[in-house]
Amino acid sequence: MTTHLGLMALFSVFVSIVFAMLMRDEPREQLAFGARLFAGFIGAGVAIGWLLYPLPL
Amino acid sequence: MRAAAADQVEPATNKYLIAVLAWAIPGAGHILLRRRQKGLVFLSTLTLMFVTGLWLQGRIFPLTFDLAQPLVGLAAIADLGIGAPYFIAKFLGHGAGRVVAITYEYGNAFVIVAGLLNMLVVLDAWDVAEGRK
Repeated sequence: MTTHLGLMALFSVFVSIVFAMLMRDEPREQLAFGARLFAGFIGAGVAIGWLLYPLPL
Repeated sequence: MRAAAADQVEPATNKYLIAVLAWAIPGAGHILLRRRQKGLVFLSTLTLMFVTGLWLQGRIFPLTFDLAQPLVGLAAIADLGIGAPYFIAKFLGHGAGRVVAITYEYGNAFVIVAGLLNMLVVLDAWDVAEGRK
């Protein structure tokens, strides 16, 4: 659980829930927006991780 | 004229009270504004995020304005954003932070962001109280 990926996923869950509740009013919209945010966080995290993989050059 | 002035003062007082309560207890502002579902989600999520940060050995930064360490002061302000849980954790002796713990920086991120998110929740409660949302 205390792996970098696991903690990033947990952090993303918390932030996605709060932003979804703040920015959408209908439960269905909140779920869809939260899921998109969560996927975006994880996707961006993994993508940036791979971009940084060759560093330091 | 007097009644009109009283009408203007009354909601403003409530707005400030709601903002203070929303800061002190995450989600309380929304619960008071009859948005119970949102309020309960904020209460559980933000409190759990803050506690997770402490569990990960994160530090509750002291509110000092040391020019040599400006980021500590900013982190302390962010930590304070969570409201009552900040003071409860301090009172119970949590949040000392163990720098050598492998999860120390992760814990700090959780604690700091929980406080910052609660600040956004307070602003949202303010907007709701003003009738903007």
